[in-house]
Amino acid sequence: MKICIFEDEGYENLYPISLTRPIFELKCGQVTLRERILRNFPGVYVSYFLRDYLATVFSQGKKEVSVNEMEALKREDVLFINGRWLLSKGELSLTGEEEVGICGEETLYLRATTKTIKDCFCLNFREFIDSLKQKLKKKEVKARMITYPWDLIDNNCWALEEDFEFRVKEGIQGKLPSSATIYGEKDRVFIAKSATIQPLVLLDSTKGSIYIDEEAIVFGHSHIKGPSYIGKKSQILGANIGEGISIGPLCRVGGEVEETIIHGFTNKAHRGFLGHSYLGEWINIGALCTNSDIKNDYSTVQVYVKGEFMDSEATKVGSFIGDHTKLGIGCLLNTGTVIGVGGNIVTAGKVLPKFIPSFTWYLNGKFYKGYGLKQIIETAKVVMSRRKVTTSSEEVKVLEEAFKITKKEREKLIEKSKR
Amino acid sequence: MSVEERVKKIVIQQLKAREDEATSEARFVQDLGAESIDSIELMAAFEAEFDIEIPPEEGERIQTVGEAVEYIEKKLKEKDFSYKD
Repeated sequence: MKICIFEDEGYENLYPISLTRPIFELKCGQVTLRERILRNFPGVYVSYFLRDYLATVFSQGKKEVSVNEMEALKREDVLFINGRWLLSKGELSLTGEEEVGICGEETLYLRATTKTIKDCFCLNFREFIDSLKQKLKKKEVKARMITYPWDLIDNNCWALEEDFEFRVKEGIQGKLPSSATIYGEKDRVFIAKSATIQPLVLLDSTKGSIYIDEEAIVFGHSHIKGPSYIGKKSQILGANIGEGISIGPLCRVGGEVEETIIHGFTNKAHRGFLGHSYLGEWINIGALCTNSDIKNDYSTVQVYVKGEFMDSEATKVGSFIGDHTKLGIGCLLNTGTVIGVGGNIVTAGKVLPKFIPSFTWYLNGKFYKGYGLKQIIETAKVVMSRRKVTTSSEEVKVLEEAFKITKKEREKLIEKSKR
Repeated sequence: MSVEERVKKIVIQQLKAREDEATSEARFVQDLGAESIDSIELMAAFEAEFDIEIPPEEGERIQTVGEAVEYIEKKLKEKDFSYKD
């Protein structure tokens, strides 16, 4: 029996954070959705199905896996798992009856024997899955599915607690200065051996666990509330870290942050508030940038999804920002703001529009094409080389494809700005 | 107004330059103090004024008022030619 983790058509709802990565590479808690699935099935051979333009970058450094290979599915029984499933410990077993697990309209998993796979086989993965769904008996299952970006935030506290239980074998391994304080249960705090906690740090575990990973540095006067995760080599710069935080690796975070997930290499080093938000990689948030995560009238928040604003049916929603976007100093982000990949944002003190397309310059109230994709890639290379990371040609191709996908929405707003 | 006059008017407005500063030889960055943001806004203003498209890589090469005039006149001729065509 092997497993197959796949992307379904739901990836577009998760733009822009899924524009440059497969949906199962989105994070919730300490790990990605994929890592959460895999830890339930140690040692099992894995196949992946995802958008073609992301396949090469995703495959890099992964051994003994197959990516977008239909023929590989024919060799043995397969447990197909939807990559948007925030799978909990023991929620799904590898072996069992042939069936399709559904949660409302969503397909969670399909368990099929080699014979059934061969009977339904066709070279188009989506059609193949549809065919399997028709054939297998249905089982209704309750599950945490990630449908929209804010689902990742809403589930983060739960995921952080599960991850803490999963990973912690011993208590505090690193050094805690005498002036640093753990307020709450000590066994709800993990400090890795190579992590540094400076004097006058307050770790508040009264409402949840705190996990500080290898080589992270928590600078003096930082206040961290659990549940939270400070990733490898990340730096907390005297920040006020509220509950529901996943940071890193290699991030630098200051100011006030709560209920937020930040991918690797992203910096928000200075003062300013960030709440209920999801940030991709290589983002820079300038000093004093602040986002709203609740409206003054406490009504539900409208968010730009698939070409239009939809009601999130949630009252606390922050910002969703794609990889490589830079926010200049003092940007003010409205409740439920979406900013695409590779953006360059400079404001003149006014609140930003609630949707800024990918690869757009937003300057002083207008949308521009800026210096174009070539310059954005050059800037990305400079930024990445500062952290000793080389930009591969495959990563450039992902950005080029993302540029093509988002062309229409970008040009529409740029044209509007000219009038 | 000629193309040159219209270009100079935009440069004066966008870069808050004086009339006597906006000469054909004036360089946007070194002489008129344009930041990268100003240059982007300037190119967009030319596009809107003359109803032309300036690709980013071509826009980057326009460094003086005179070069802008020359580039825009060429673009307008091409446009005129394509209409007749």
